[in-house]
Amino acid sequence: MARHSKAPVVAAAPSVFEFADQVAAQEAAAVAPAPVGTLHLITFRLDGEEFGLPVETVREVIRVGDITRVPQAPRHIRGVTNLRGRILPVVEIRTRLGLAPLVPRSTARIIVTDVRGRVLGLLVDSVAQVQKVPADRLVAAPDEVKSAHTTYLTGVVHMDARLIILLDLALALDASASPT
Amino acid sequence: MDHDNAFGELIQEYIAESLPLAEAVTDAFLALERRWRDGDTDAADAAGLKGTLHTLKGNSAMMGLAPIQLVAHVLEDLTARILADTAARTEAAAALLVEGSGLLADLVQAAANPAALGGAAEEYAGRVRVHLGTAGDPVGQPLRLERRNIERRADAGADASGTIRVDFRRLDTMLEIFGEAMIERSALLEVYRGLTARYGSGPEIADLERAVSALGATMKRLETALMQTRLLPIATVFGRFGRAVRDLARDERKRVRLVTEGDDTRLDKTILDRLGEPLVHLLSNAIVHGVEPEAERVRVGKPPEATVLLRAATLADQVQITVADDGRGLDTDRIVAKARALGLDAPSADREAIHALIFVPGFSTAEQVSTVAGRGVGLDAAAAAIHALGGGIEVASEPGRGTSFTLTLPLTLAIVRSLIVEVDEERYAVPLSHVAETVRLEPGTLHEINSRGVAMWRGSAIHVADGGQLLGTGATRTAPRNYYVVLFAGPRRRGLLVDRLVGHQDVVVKGLDPTLGRPDVVSGATILGDGRVACILDAAGIVALREVA
Repeated sequence: MARHSKAPVVAAAPSVFEFADQVAAQEAAAVAPAPVGTLHLITFRLDGEEFGLPVETVREVIRVGDITRVPQAPRHIRGVTNLRGRILPVVEIRTRLGLAPLVPRSTARIIVTDVRGRVLGLLVDSVAQVQKVPADRLVAAPDEVKSAHTTYLTGVVHMDARLIILLDLALALDASASPT
Repeated sequence: MDHDNAFGELIQEYIAESLPLAEAVTDAFLALERRWRDGDTDAADAAGLKGTLHTLKGNSAMMGLAPIQLVAHVLEDLTARILADTAARTEAAAALLVEGSGLLADLVQAAANPAALGGAAEEYAGRVRVHLGTAGDPVGQPLRLERRNIERRADAGADASGTIRVDFRRLDTMLEIFGEAMIERSALLEVYRGLTARYGSGPEIADLERAVSALGATMKRLETALMQTRLLPIATVFGRFGRAVRDLARDERKRVRLVTEGDDTRLDKTILDRLGEPLVHLLSNAIVHGVEPEAERVRVGKPPEATVLLRAATLADQVQITVADDGRGLDTDRIVAKARALGLDAPSADREAIHALIFVPGFSTAEQVSTVAGRGVGLDAAAAAIHALGGGIEVASEPGRGTSFTLTLPLTLAIVRSLIVEVDEERYAVPLSHVAETVRLEPGTLHEINSRGVAMWRGSAIHVADGGQLLGTGATRTAPRNYYVVLFAGPRRRGLLVDRLVGHQDVVVKGLDPTLGRPDVVSGATILGDGRVACILDAAGIVALREVA
């Protein structure tokens, strides 16, 4: 069993999560306007587009095993899976972005994110790499992207011909907030 | 970030350490107030309280909790005054002491959220200073300690008595690991069975069998030992009630003595955490509805002061909690009249059946709405809370002699013996504490009334819901289900159609992350022997659902 570097969240009181949510929201809000040094991004694909998450928020990337559906769960929750004895909620980030649910292929992965001890899995089409990005490449999203994606990105990075969209983790965290 | 975590842990440690002290002070002042009212103005035992208050003040100062420090400080002054001056031992002083120590306990409990603490503390301290005639005195400033010192304290969890204080989450981690070991053991068992099937018997296979079964026995012992470490004395819950009972009795203009027994009875923390609210309601019910006004008690020859008993005892693998009063008892005539008025089917002869009506939602025999009864948390809510814990609640009452509520609760909710069922290829665990029976579905036994499934079960018609629909599996099926499981919680029953009964298993219960919403039909999740996650059905929730096809 791998060492958990953070305190487990299994039976903590809801108030802790509310706290985590607040903190996550603050953190997410603070990501974009502070371009200092180098960003380390984990990049992954959703329906052909390339997305990135700061490496500090990612605990690990795992293969997709059995995912158990949870009755009455919010729409953007795919289910739960066994992460070495811990029950990991798996967020269907694609439907959150207005895409069709993922039909998992062998390239599909679950990105295990950890925001202040709150651990969630994001189901993605595939994971590319860890990408070092000079922070000054991070810019506010161009208007045409913004209008379509404004609710889930914190910025975009131009690398050569690539465009990496920085995903807003708060989006995953409040997947339960809009069950419609 | 780590600093914040360390500080958060420190606050939790502070609360764990200080709350029992604050509660002890409250209890002592309550006893003191009682004695003074009875004319005994001795205050000798208050001397020890000064020390406790001083400790509380110091602890609070160390955490920078100025409002708590302030309250402890003025309480210390007030205690010093009553110790020094017999004439100061007035009812007003006693009331101030009780109020302040109660405030102290409330503030300590809310210490994790210090922004909200200030106002009440200042206001109270002001009144004490006016009482003491020291208004305008400066009050000690909170000590500023360096972070370094605070962090060193965080490691010092051991005390001289050989007990250590452990963060409850660590026990959850241990349970998690134990759960993994259970899964690995079932995998080993599978291998053993496979080997036996393939190679038959032999000395190595016999050795393997011994090893596997010895491992099973050891795991069982480990489970028991692990469970023991999670049990806490019920005193942590009972201790909260002294002041609540006093305050409520005063509001009701009644004299009530709270007696607790079996304070050292131990229960799993997860159950203790959910026990406070139903007990508060039962106690309120006893004081507001059970206990007669003083004049009435005297008239019928009872002691003017009523007694409310709160008792806990362990019986095998259950805990029994009794909430009893020596009041007027349940008025069966009035219950029947009220039931008829509500359009309920009221039995006229069976006293127990009449008593059971008080747990029906919306039922209350109060003639007037008092502050507590008007809060909307009825006996039905208390009963529902107990049922949700897999427990039971019963009431016994004698006219003129009193009323007694008996609660039976499981020791733990962390590992639950469950029935594993399969519905549309999904597996679910159903806690056996809520399973009345499993029935093989014979052709023609399931009827449809108002497009709802109904079956005769033990002489009465029960609703039998389809598992696939209830759980939203989304599967379209043509073949009928093979079984139904009769779920119960308290008096409610509901059948649930399933495809297959897989077997019995002790499952380690894990909570659902809030991201998953708050399903009515699922209370948690567990990991089965094959490593897959299965949801645990919330039987109490399912039987309480109103609209189910």
